Amino acid sequence: MTELSNNKIQAIVRACRIILRMIEADPDTRESQKMYYRMLLQYYTRLRDARENGQFIVAHTVFFPAEIILAMGLVPMHTETTTWMTSLFTGECSDILAAGSSMGMATEICAPHRGMAGAFANGAIPKPDVMVWSNMVCDNTAKSGELVMDICDCPGFFLDRPFKDSDLEKAYMADELRDMITFLEKQSGKKMDYDRLSEIVERTDRQIKLTREINELRKNVPTPFSPLGFLELLTIDYLFPGQPESVEYLETLKKEMEKAILGKKGAVPNERFRLMTLFIPPMYLMAFLERISIRSGAVSVIEPFFTFWGEGTLDASRPIEAVVEKSYMIPEARMYGPLGESALGAIKKCAREWRVDGAVYYADVGCRHSCATIKLFKDTLADVDVPVLTLDCDVVDQTVTSEDEVKEKLERFFELLEDR
Amino acid sequence: MLAIGIDIGSLTTKAVVMNDGQLLASEVSNTLDEADASASVAMTKALEKAGADDNPEKYVITTGNGGKEVSFADGSKAITTCLARGIYWYAPDTRAVIDIGAESSSVVKINNRGRVIDWANHDKCASGTGLFLQQMAKLMKLSFEEMSELSRRAEKGAEITGTCAVFAESEVISHVHRVPPTPLPEIILGIYLSVSTRIKTMCKRIGAGECLAVSGGVALHAGLVETLEKELKQRIYVPQNPVCVAAMGAAVLAGEEIKKELQQ
Repeated sequence: MTELSNNKIQAIVRACRIILRMIEADPDTRESQKMYYRMLLQYYTRLRDARENGQFIVAHTVFFPAEIILAMGLVPMHTETTTWMTSLFTGECSDILAAGSSMGMATEICAPHRGMAGAFANGAIPKPDVMVWSNMVCDNTAKSGELVMDICDCPGFFLDRPFKDSDLEKAYMADELRDMITFLEKQSGKKMDYDRLSEIVERTDRQIKLTREINELRKNVPTPFSPLGFLELLTIDYLFPGQPESVEYLETLKKEMEKAILGKKGAVPNERFRLMTLFIPPMYLMAFLERISIRSGAVSVIEPFFTFWGEGTLDASRPIEAVVEKSYMIPEARMYGPLGESALGAIKKCAREWRVDGAVYYADVGCRHSCATIKLFKDTLADVDVPVLTLDCDVVDQTVTSEDEVKEKLERFFELLEDR
Repeated sequence: MLAIGIDIGSLTTKAVVMNDGQLLASEVSNTLDEADASASVAMTKALEKAGADDNPEKYVITTGNGGKEVSFADGSKAITTCLARGIYWYAPDTRAVIDIGAESSSVVKINNRGRVIDWANHDKCASGTGLFLQQMAKLMKLSFEEMSELSRRAEKGAEITGTCAVFAESEVISHVHRVPPTPLPEIILGIYLSVSTRIKTMCKRIGAGECLAVSGGVALHAGLVETLEKELKQRIYVPQNPVCVAAMGAAVLAGEEIKKELQQ
């Protein structure tokens, strides 16, 4: 095992092990949830032991096509998700955020990026062999990739993804991907296995279809999926795209949901409020949010920017082009792409078809782009008579909002929904 | 059975006693360390004013800071719900209430049944709150009435930030000490404008555009209400007892619960 001071990866591994031991002993825990934690444990154990096993670590930012890294047999490290997981499993990130701040990063900068920089700087997560990043969807990543290269003294590659999606722009991005593969081959000494990439793309396509089918099941009243279960769907795509265990997880989850629907069993004992979730809840409050959701009968039934995939299929016979295509289909692309009728129309469609009572917008202060959309989304949802609660917060920085504050606002909002 | 509403604010606790939809009495007393004690003192005084028996049959709804901790309450409601019901009791035509309390300010948009549609609040900084205005009055050695009176003499307001109470205070000190000093009426109007700008932004954010009312202790600041009216380009309704609007709403809700119990 790699020795690191204040090793966050080891902390995540231990937390996953403890949770797994607890839920495996609980007959009421769904099988898919056990599978999910086994996958997380596997991901972080592999990352923890990568150095010792002589494996090549590729750090990559959110929305980066991890399919490429996995097809080359390299070890991926999803940087933002790793910061989230640190917050989720250890309860706090103050040390790595402070380390980020001490490097001069302002508190207004996206906390997962601030935390990631701090974690690399103080040795809390292993330094990668290479850093790859992109302007795909999130603008923050465009600069923080350079910073990671600087902190970790490693080479890097910036994947330029065009804003629009004409054939010309898609062809440009495919060339970018080919250049990136050449870069990774040179740095790692490993060749891209295109057959393997095709298999991964094929399974990614299956994953997307399964997620769509799962979302269809979530339309049911009462909804069969847990109040904040969408975070599992999100993580599955972020960390395990096109992996056999992802498909198995989604198929198991789907069967469990079908069974729950047949048994008329909802995810919460008394479903009162069907919610739409906009953006990411604070990770350090997840246990509290789960409790208050169950107690109040509130359940997230749809997330237009996380689980509601855009139209299209992936052609495994042209894997590079398929990876490009996926980048325009990912749900988050709606939020960061042109905010035209396709984005706003999707929100309305979700509100209507999933019979949403209210929406909760987790306004992460460090994400300027998403915060800039609050009014627009609020007005859009007002057209379909869906009230929106805006909760100022941060996904990992606990100094922005407290549990009491979130509790008070959520209770106020539930009272509003009940009183209407 | 008496319907009692109690609103525990950061500085004062308000209690309202109603019977069958009619207001019997209200009381404003200082908030104490314990929520129970604050609520008990205000309620006892309000019951005395109402001429009630020593231990009357009652239904108590609480709201505000620590409202849920009141051990003798029958229920607790969100401040937004109470403000909506309270202002609806005073003026059913109201479609949004601007509440400026000691430590926070908010705008609550309501429908034609007195139900909350949306709200916006500002609770991260003292700017735009009663404590901020109190601090400014102290700094200029003026009463609220004197501030209101002086503000009417100003032709324009001094530039004062609305985003931070500490910066605003520094700016006011700078206006007072510059040579020549900025005339007091202009400073006061500037303070009112900084508060009004913040309120206006909240109104815009939730689409609260017409039939506005104001509640909270700051509603007694006539000069501020006049500035708000100019900024929002409309008359703003000030209820007879603006400080007790949320407590009134809590009492209305208590009355609704009594009715439900009677029907069962």
